[in-house]
Amino acid sequence: MEKAEILKGLADATVAGDVEKATNLAKEAIRAGIDAYEAIMNGCAAGMNVVSEKYEKGDMYVPEILCSAEAMYSALEILRPHLKASKVEVPKKVVLGVVRGDIHDIGKNLVKLMLDAAGFKVIDLGRDVPNEQFVEVALKENAEIVGLSALMTTSMVNMPLIIKDLKTKSPKTVAMVGGGPISPELAKNYGADGYAKDAAEAVKVAKSLVGGGA
Amino acid sequence: MRERMTPMERMGAVLMGQKPDRVPVNPFILGFAAKVCNLPIGDLYADAKKSFRAQVLCAEMYGYDATPMYGYASYGAWEFGGKIGMPYEAGQSAPYVIKHPVETPEDVDKLEVPDPKNAGSIPISMGVGKLCYENRMPVIFQCGEILTTSAMVAEPARILSWMIRKPEVVHKLHKKIAEYFVAVADYFTSTFGADKCMAFTGGPVESNKLINPNQFATFVYPYMKEVHSKVLGMGVNVVLEHPCSDQNKNLPYYKMLREELGWRGKYIWVFGPETPLEKQIEIFGNHDIIMGNVDPPSFQFKDFEEIVALCKDNIERGIKNPSGYILGVGCELPPLAPPINVYAMMKAAREYGSYQ
Repeated sequence: MEKAEILKGLADATVAGDVEKATNLAKEAIRAGIDAYEAIMNGCAAGMNVVSEKYEKGDMYVPEILCSAEAMYSALEILRPHLKASKVEVPKKVVLGVVRGDIHDIGKNLVKLMLDAAGFKVIDLGRDVPNEQFVEVALKENAEIVGLSALMTTSMVNMPLIIKDLKTKSPKTVAMVGGGPISPELAKNYGADGYAKDAAEAVKVAKSLVGGGA
Repeated sequence: MRERMTPMERMGAVLMGQKPDRVPVNPFILGFAAKVCNLPIGDLYADAKKSFRAQVLCAEMYGYDATPMYGYASYGAWEFGGKIGMPYEAGQSAPYVIKHPVETPEDVDKLEVPDPKNAGSIPISMGVGKLCYENRMPVIFQCGEILTTSAMVAEPARILSWMIRKPEVVHKLHKKIAEYFVAVADYFTSTFGADKCMAFTGGPVESNKLINPNQFATFVYPYMKEVHSKVLGMGVNVVLEHPCSDQNKNLPYYKMLREELGWRGKYIWVFGPETPLEKQIEIFGNHDIIMGNVDPPSFQFKDFEEIVALCKDNIERGIKNPSGYILGVGCELPPLAPPINVYAMMKAAREYGSYQ
C-alpha cells in the first residue's frame, strides 16, 4: 500500500469507528516504514478532526464518536511505542476532571478524546474529583490548562473555588470550564479563562489559550 | 391578583380543560424542598415521610401548585440489582450510581425483570405515593424513559457504544426494562386505582446532545410506545412527560406517539428550555398541557427581577396554548437556587398569569 493510502485509510477507519481496520493499518504503517508521529497526526488525528467537524455540524452523535475513539485508541496503542523522541514536540498538558459531587463524565471523556487527538497530553482525574486535587496535579505536572466539567448546578459551584485556588498557586495555568449548566457568562463570573460548549469547541479554545497541542 | 382557587382546584381545572384563576405553577422542585426544610438532600430520596413533608411544606410556603413526587434520573440501576448512593455529600443533588448491574452482554441475558414490590427505590416511592393518596393528592410513579434507564442499568457510554456495536443486546435490555415499567405501573394502579395515579417519564440520555433522531426511533420509540400504550390501557389518564435537555430532533416521534395512541389521556409536556413553547403548542396544543420551560440554571444565578422577567415571557407565550399551560422549569429547579427566585415565579404567575 502507498503511504497516502495508508494514512487516508487510518483516518477513514477512525471516522468509521472500524477498530479492526484501524489496527491493521497501524501495523501496516509501521511495516511500510511510515514515521509513527506522521501516522498519528495525518492518520488518526486527521480522522478525529473529521469526527469533530461532523459532531459540530450534528452529523455525528456520541455513539458513533465512542466507536471512533475506540478505533483511534486501538491504532495509537500500536503506533505510540514507535514514536521517536526527537520527532515528538513537547505536548501541552491538560489536567481534566469532573468536579466534586458530580459523576457525569461523558462530556469530559469526549473532551479528553478530542484533546488527545489534537496532540495535548491529558491527565484525566476522572469524576467526583476533590477540589484541591486539580491544583495539586496541575502544579506537579506543570500543566498549561486545568479543565473543569460539571453537569449539576449543585456541583458547578466548586468551579470558582478551584479557579481561585489555581490562580493563587499557579497563575500561569489557564482554567477552562464546560458542562450542561455552564454558560459563557457564568464562566466569566467564575474567573475562567475559557469556556467551551462542547468537545469540539474545547480543542479550539485550548489552542487559542495555549497554542497547539503538539 | 386575588386567588380564588386552591392549588388542587387550579391543577384540576387545567387537567379538565377549564381556565383556572391564574396559571398554575410547578417549579419542578425536589432537592430544593429539602434545603428549605433544612434537611440533607439525601433525605428527600431516602426517606418517604421526610420527602413528602418537605415537598408539602415547601409548596405551602410559596403557594405553588405541585404535589409531591418521587423520581430521579439515575433510576433503574438499584432496581435491577446494582448499587446507588444517596446525595448526602457536598455537591451532590440526586441519587447516583455506584455499581451498574450490567457490564457485559451476558449480564443482559442473565438479568431478571425485578418484582416492583421490593425493587430498589420502589418501596420509598410507594411510601410517598401512600402519603399522597391519604392526602387526596395524585400518586405519581416513574415509568421511563427507556434509554435513560438502560444507561443507568448498563452505564451510559457502554449502552451508547452498544447501540452501534451490539444493537441486539440493547433491544434485549430495553425489552426487559419496558416489561419492568409496565409491572411498576400495574403495581401502583392496582394499589391506588388508576384514576388516582399519574405516570412520570423522561430523561436526559434521549437528548440530541447524545443520540440522533434515528437512534431514538430505533432504540427508544418502540418501547416508549409499548409502555405508554399499556399504562394508558390500565386507565391512567395523566402522563407527565419530560423530554430532558435538547430533544428538538425527537419531536416528530413524540408527536407520532400521541397520534398513534389516539391522543388518549392528558399529557403534560415538560421540555427543556431548548424547545420553544411555540413549537410545542403547534404540535401538542390541541390536546395536551404545556408546562413552561424556564431555563433551570438561571434560577441559581440570576436575580429576582431577571427571574420575574423570564417567567413573564414564558407566561405570555405559554398561556396561548389552547389546552392549558403551567408555569414551570425546564428541568429540576437547582437545589441551591436563592429562595427568593421561587417567589419570583409566584409573583410572575400572580401578576401576569391571570385568566380573569
